[in-house]
Amino acid sequence: MADARYFEPLGVDDLACAAGLSRAHFSREFRRAFGESPHAYVLTRRLERAAALLRSTDRRVADICFSVGLRSVGSFTTSFTRVYGMSPTAYRAAFPPAARQAQIPTCVLRVFGRPQHRTFREDNGSGRA
Amino acid sequence: MIKIANAQLWVHDQDEALAFYTEKVGMEVRADVTVPELGNFRWLTVAPPGQPDFSIVLMAIPGPPVMDAETGEEVRNLMGKGFAGTIFLTTDDVHASYEELKGRGVDFSEQPEERPYGIDSAFRDPSGNNIRLTQVREMASV
Repeated sequence: MADARYFEPLGVDDLACAAGLSRAHFSREFRRAFGESPHAYVLTRRLERAAALLRSTDRRVADICFSVGLRSVGSFTTSFTRVYGMSPTAYRAAFPPAARQAQIPTCVLRVFGRPQHRTFREDNGSGRA
Repeated sequence: MIKIANAQLWVHDQDEALAFYTEKVGMEVRADVTVPELGNFRWLTVAPPGQPDFSIVLMAIPGPPVMDAETGEEVRNLMGKGFAGTIFLTTDDVHASYEELKGRGVDFSEQPEERPYGIDSAFRDPSGNNIRLTQVREMASV
């Protein structure tokens, strides 16, 4: 659940409830099984997702923060910087631009890579896609 | 060694498809990049959380000159009839997944039914693509 629904405003109470345990009992058992608190686990999961989105999308940092289920850009930036050693923007800049990973079909490349042919008054200028 | 990396689905509207696959089916966005130099070509992929090495490309039907208008219309027609593409999803509990997706507003065309290979159900995405959701039967090792 923590892995599949991290993008929802999921709290420790929700997780404990889903597991059918009290909050305190759930936290204790979770920590024993996974070595960290449920809160830390969900935050790590969200930050990993955010890092992936910074590498593989061109979405804005604020949008990424909200899409992984965090509600404050300020605390997102702080947590991210603590874990990754650099701000979300710097992290993104350290990787090749996401557009380079896009597997753009050859037919699209061919069309847009073709030299644009310009004519003089032979068409009304609407010929280009 | 050859592996499957991505498979493509045509979609009418990438935003609509993205909302459907993430908010209703429960997938996550893997890549979302728009390239202004290529006529705002948008590379958009989604996949289930926990399956890192495969994703579905939600591809907008291109207009001319990449695809001529007539072909585009044929593709839309086939999608409308449900013959353009199918995604086969599996789940370990089809009844639970069925209820979960139905609760999020997915309109199932086939309710979970027993088949020789497992319990199978089906729905369609907003573009008309078929999606099967199957709990595959554990085959007893002989």
